[in-house]
Amino acid sequence: MIKIAELEKIYRTEEVETVALNKLSFEVKEGEFVAVMGPSGCGKSTLLNIVGLLDDPDKGSFLFNGIEVADFNERKRADLRKRNIGFVFQSFNLIDELTVFENVELPLIYLGVKAPERKKRVEAVLDKMQIMHRRNHYPQQLSGGQQQRVAVARAVVNKPKLILADEPTGNLDSSNGNEVMQLLTDLNEQGTTIIMVTHSEHDARYSHRIIRMLDGQTVTENILV
Amino acid sequence: MGLTVGMTACFLIFLYIRFELSYDSFHSKADRIYRIVCDIKTPTEVIKAGGPSWAVPPNVKDEFPEIESFVRLSNTGILVRKGDAKFQEEHSMWADSSIFHVFDFRLLKGNPKTALRDELCVVFSETAAKKYFGKSNPIGQTLLLFGEGLPARVTGIMKDIPENSHIKADMLLSMSTLTKRFNPDLDGQWGNYGASAYLLLKPGSNPKALQAKFPAFLEKRNGKEMKQSQMYATLTLEPLQDVYLRSTRDGKNTGNITNVYIFSVVATFILMIACINFINLTTARSSERAKEVGIRKVVGAARTQLARQFIGESVIICIIAFLLAVILSSLLLPLFNQLAGKTVSQGIFQNARYVLMLFLAAIGIGLLAGIYPALVLSSFKPVVVLKGRFATGTRGIILRKGLVVAQFSISVALIIGTIVVYDQMNFMRNRALGFRKDLMLVMNTDGDPGTEAFKQAIKGIPAVKSTSLSSSVPGSGNPGAYSEIENKKGDLQIANLDLYFVDFNYIDQFKIKVLAGRGFSRDFLTDTTQAMVLNEAAVKMFGYSSPQEAIGRRFKQWGREGKIIGVIKDFHFRALQEPIKPLSMRIEQRTNLVSANVSAANMTATLASIEAKWKTLIPNRPFSYFFLDEFFNKQYRDEERFGKLFLNFAILAIFISCLGLLGLASYSTMQRTKEIGIRKVMGASVRGIINLLSNEFLTLVILSFFIAMPIAWYFMHAWLQDFAYRTEIGWWVFVLAGSIAVLIAVFTVSFQAIKAAIANPVKSLRTE
Repeated sequence: MIKIAELEKIYRTEEVETVALNKLSFEVKEGEFVAVMGPSGCGKSTLLNIVGLLDDPDKGSFLFNGIEVADFNERKRADLRKRNIGFVFQSFNLIDELTVFENVELPLIYLGVKAPERKKRVEAVLDKMQIMHRRNHYPQQLSGGQQQRVAVARAVVNKPKLILADEPTGNLDSSNGNEVMQLLTDLNEQGTTIIMVTHSEHDARYSHRIIRMLDGQTVTENILV
Repeated sequence: MGLTVGMTACFLIFLYIRFELSYDSFHSKADRIYRIVCDIKTPTEVIKAGGPSWAVPPNVKDEFPEIESFVRLSNTGILVRKGDAKFQEEHSMWADSSIFHVFDFRLLKGNPKTALRDELCVVFSETAAKKYFGKSNPIGQTLLLFGEGLPARVTGIMKDIPENSHIKADMLLSMSTLTKRFNPDLDGQWGNYGASAYLLLKPGSNPKALQAKFPAFLEKRNGKEMKQSQMYATLTLEPLQDVYLRSTRDGKNTGNITNVYIFSVVATFILMIACINFINLTTARSSERAKEVGIRKVVGAARTQLARQFIGESVIICIIAFLLAVILSSLLLPLFNQLAGKTVSQGIFQNARYVLMLFLAAIGIGLLAGIYPALVLSSFKPVVVLKGRFATGTRGIILRKGLVVAQFSISVALIIGTIVVYDQMNFMRNRALGFRKDLMLVMNTDGDPGTEAFKQAIKGIPAVKSTSLSSSVPGSGNPGAYSEIENKKGDLQIANLDLYFVDFNYIDQFKIKVLAGRGFSRDFLTDTTQAMVLNEAAVKMFGYSSPQEAIGRRFKQWGREGKIIGVIKDFHFRALQEPIKPLSMRIEQRTNLVSANVSAANMTATLASIEAKWKTLIPNRPFSYFFLDEFFNKQYRDEERFGKLFLNFAILAIFISCLGLLGLASYSTMQRTKEIGIRKVMGASVRGIINLLSNEFLTLVILSFFIAMPIAWYFMHAWLQDFAYRTEIGWWVFVLAGSIAVLIAVFTVSFQAIKAAIANPVKSLRTE
């Protein structure tokens, strides 16, 4: 599904040049659950942003479902992104001014799904995540675990093929963290490909394969399953 | 910056208002001086005269002990000759010798008690004296007055009359010349008008009580005459300081209290907008400083200390703005004087008191603007703030939005005002006036004996298509005549009719339409002495339902008797502020205005050949001319100025409002960076984000529009009431104003919105 070759990304400020990705190559097949690990600043988040089509690489090739997307412009990337990829962040990134329902509804609005259909799908996913009773609450009124469940609900509501999770349990206690990991595992079992960046060895064990990174390169790959 | 601009504008307007209000206040006895004005009631109408009859002032002075002195002033234009030099002195005035006692017009040379006592005495202003005599001492020198060259002696030089005086003259002539030499029984003429009159009351006397005694006095002295002529006079006293701004009797030359009010409101608005901006941006920025507050509190600052710090900062900013405003004002003052059409102030430091007032106002604004942010900021809890979990309260947002709405309401109201003023100007310039005003050259011979010959002579110039001789042209003013006209019932009805003396060619030349009967014609011998033409308004006034009915009716006017021979269509012989009044026209040979309809080509050559004829036929007078269209439109100069001032301040208000909007928009986008990032990750398009951000502010602008609409309508409707002929405030005015406001707002906000929308969402989400 994802095939990356010789990917480079360099951040420049006036004085400093930071190499975030250094000729990185790897592949993720459809239906896989991959964990990316490594110390802070090793380029995990940059990788996730590029794979998530939020950022573009400076050099290299990136095939998404067999299509070269490295040189896609902003609009094409946005289009591909909203149809295929769901995001889960460490800090949830819910919009405070919108209710749970509205937050989850957002991707469907941007996909142009009609209102009655949206309602049906949002309610279905909220039900699945067991936060239906909170549908009219605002994010600030929820616990961290609940917020992350909303974020996961939002990530899966448009049935993406790929979910990118950036330390999904980083702001959660262990029981809430386990719940979220279980949710992701369930989604993976239903066929969704998942790439997860994490610091937690515990969480990484939920995945099929661990890619370890250092200084913008892959160091090792452990296959767990 | 906004604050500086606002203060500058406010300061300039303030100077203007102060100047308008200062009219005639420099006279040390101003509070005891009253102008006598007169309403004359005829069976047909009430004439609002600017002054009483010649006999009233000397006689009331004799009758009532509370009157200390009186002055009569009568404007005139005089031909003055000194050696070979000829001047038509338009700013000249007959004046009673008491003028220097009643008013504070200071004599630099000459004795104020005697300067204007004797016949044929002249007092010049400093400037005029320089014009005539250069550096030589004018006192005692002789000048020749009028066409006949009466010798007059210069007996005084007065300091130039200040700009803020409603009485304006460069040359004063002794009234005794008029009352003793030219018209010996003028002081006893109760039915002859033509001067304005001022009374100086003794200290402590009651003008109301005095005015109440006038009717009985007039009845006693003049009752019989009034009954006979059926013209009843009522005298009213106007305080001197109300004459310029509040009196409506002087037509166009004076100020207008409504305009003063409008400008006061505008100044307040602009300052308000600027203050709102300041408060808005300070509070908006307060969240940025939250961390600073947290740290300061942790190291031990008490709440009051912090509050003091913020108020202090805001006051200092205001003082800086004040200093800049003072500099800017003094730079802009000459430009503003030009715009206002008068020297409102020589330099702002001459008004030290007002500078000081503005300074205090600046400090006040600083305090006011500082208090809110000071209270909000100093109340932050350090722990919460330092953890970065700082959310601005919705209360602050509502306040800021409210302030933006207020700003834009004001701006939109000003835009609407500007559009209405300009629309009215356009309306006045383009309205069909009912006469030909293009390519009409008018020359004033002042009744010189050579007038008729001159008219005949220029007829021979090929570029002159036709000529005519008359006492008045539209816009020039004209006499009112005591008239008796046969009304529908067959009685002779008394009225004061406006009167034009014309010649046979006048109606044709000015393309005035004849509705019934005929115009004057050489074919009828009686036309020169026994014929009158009326306009529609006059016909209506005498009760006729159609112009046809009035033909053949009798008239008596100023010693002439005869029949109405024609009715002309109403034309605007005065500016459009005034309704078309009843007008009569008669043939008269000895008049002073020669008008020539000329062809547009080769104007310079035409003028040169006309001037050559003038020089041979009217050698005693300087050649001067005007074009009728320009002359007529000059009557709207004040409105034009008003419009320009209004436009400038509207632009200013909008500019300041936009600064505020820009600030708020950038603040708001900054606050929503995270939300924008999330939305983009979720698939929002750049356009979607721009719309999202712009809509928030557009709603505010549209709300302001609906607030501004009725307010602007109310004020501009009132302003338009000054015009007898006016445009309607059409719906398009509001649509246009609304679109302008929305466009400007979109332009302002979209810049921020676009910037936010195209930013890479990765960056905004990483700020965690």
